[in-house]
Amino acid sequence: MRGNTGRCRDWTPYAFVGPALFLLIGINVFPLLYSIALSFTNVDLVGGAWKFVGGFNYAVAFKFAKYGAALRTTALFVCVAVAVELVLGFALALALKDRFSGRAFALTALLVPMMLPPAVIALFWKLVLNGHYGILNQCLGALGLGQPQWITAPDLKLLSILLVDVWMWTPFMMLIALAALNAIPGYLYEAAAIDRASRWKVFRRITLPLCAPLLGLAVLLRATDAIKQFDLVMAITGPNDPATQTVSALLYQVVFRDGKVGLGAAYSYVVLVLVLALASVFVRYMSSVQRREETGTQ
Amino acid sequence: MKVLRIAFVGGYFCAAMLPLIWLLLTSFKTRDDSIAVHPKFAPTWAEEVADDGIYFRANLDGYRQLAAVYAGGEHAFFHYLGNSLVIGLLSTFCSVLIGTCAAYGFSRFAIPGGRDWLFFILSTRFLPPLAVVVPVLMMYREFDLQNSHMGLVLLYTAFNMSLAVWLMKGFIDEIPTAYEEAALVAGYTRFQAFRLVVLPRAVPGMAVTAVFCLISAWNEYGFAMTLNNQKAVTVPVYFAGLQGNVSGLPWAQISAGMLIFVAPIIVFTVLVRKHLLRGVTFGTIKR
Repeated sequence: MRGNTGRCRDWTPYAFVGPALFLLIGINVFPLLYSIALSFTNVDLVGGAWKFVGGFNYAVAFKFAKYGAALRTTALFVCVAVAVELVLGFALALALKDRFSGRAFALTALLVPMMLPPAVIALFWKLVLNGHYGILNQCLGALGLGQPQWITAPDLKLLSILLVDVWMWTPFMMLIALAALNAIPGYLYEAAAIDRASRWKVFRRITLPLCAPLLGLAVLLRATDAIKQFDLVMAITGPNDPATQTVSALLYQVVFRDGKVGLGAAYSYVVLVLVLALASVFVRYMSSVQRREETGTQ
Repeated sequence: MKVLRIAFVGGYFCAAMLPLIWLLLTSFKTRDDSIAVHPKFAPTWAEEVADDGIYFRANLDGYRQLAAVYAGGEHAFFHYLGNSLVIGLLSTFCSVLIGTCAAYGFSRFAIPGGRDWLFFILSTRFLPPLAVVVPVLMMYREFDLQNSHMGLVLLYTAFNMSLAVWLMKGFIDEIPTAYEEAALVAGYTRFQAFRLVVLPRAVPGMAVTAVFCLISAWNEYGFAMTLNNQKAVTVPVYFAGLQGNVSGLPWAQISAGMLIFVAPIIVFTVLVRKHLLRGVTFGTIKR
């Protein structure tokens, strides 16, 4: 009914969309503006007297070695997690594309991990990953593969968190990849079979390019989510472990353990710029995919 | 090739299901069995079981003891479950209600800058909770909302608004406008047409949206942990607070509690499985 506004040029549309926008401006936009103000002060968590400190917090933030380390840890985490989940999820989707008995059950069961609460299930993963009596090491022991100390060895801590993240989010990639695979028209494969194209060539020339737009959407969606990684880090190693301190964990440490609200606000601004840049890429990409979907279904 | 495919899918399936099956088994174990060096994966009802065997004596103590307060906790598990329920249901109700109205507005009217507003709503989803929580905490102090159920309900309603508006817009776009037009011609006001003609047709979409909002509020940890340390503690915050020595934790009770907490999620996942794709992509992919 777009264009039918002649009759309701009044306040009616705004009555419908107003409450949602009002809420978001009050709970999201206003706090962000407020935190700009906070980032120029030395206010601390317990309250009390504060004063204006200019760009001091930003100077500290950029000089603080922990901040660079947290950014690197987050970047490493996002790249590895998203890449492994994409490859594994796409491979699973390729293997599960054709119908077989029990497929619906298997798919639904595989999708369960991504719906579970990360903070809760990560506590149980601590039992699974335990070096002495965890079921993972007991399985590895039975196969004669050694007993890595997943949670206590410094160089394995990040790997443990990656493992849990891959377990949770591979199904997400699989779900989107399956949708992409199912949308490829069958006649393309028939034509390729007539031309006697090799399996690899079919994959390279048909499957991959036609899946790419939706896989790109999945990667962006996952990356914007993985950048916020906090729940698993908190549950598995705690917020102040140098091996696994992501940006969110550092923010928690600075604000809630050290009580430095102003510095935390300055940190969060640098993160916000990164996240909003990624989000705007995502939003643009999404509207182009959406447009293609709309014209594709007509 | 086929063998390879079955081995790959089968292997992944077993590996992915192992933690969940282990969670189920652990909830029936005693504390000693849950941290035994010899894995115990076969429940039995026999009186005597060997220490190094694969059998463990199944019992329901983990579930029975949920009503009791464990060492270090302030309340029993069910107290926190109640908090999660109240906060989850209230915020879901508000998100779906406000989100449906907004989605209807964006779907049916040419609002100036409508597309930009929609993308603004979507972009709020990407904000890291830890970046927003500091100013929210300072604001909540002014209004005395920290440590309250209301504070979290408000925050989750806003946090889920992007999901609710985008999902509902997809569903409302699919409802033909002919019905409302007929109603408007018949003398209904716009609000009557929305309430009496559109809403009943949007109910299935609202149910799906409610499930996604509820799961997202149910699972949330960052805001809940940083804004509440006394009164409105939800289950994720409670479990995450049980840190310390792994061998000292009461794993049977924890597993039993976790199973009760995730059971509704698993049921809902099965119920909305046809809409999962839509839910996780904010309605972009509709097939």
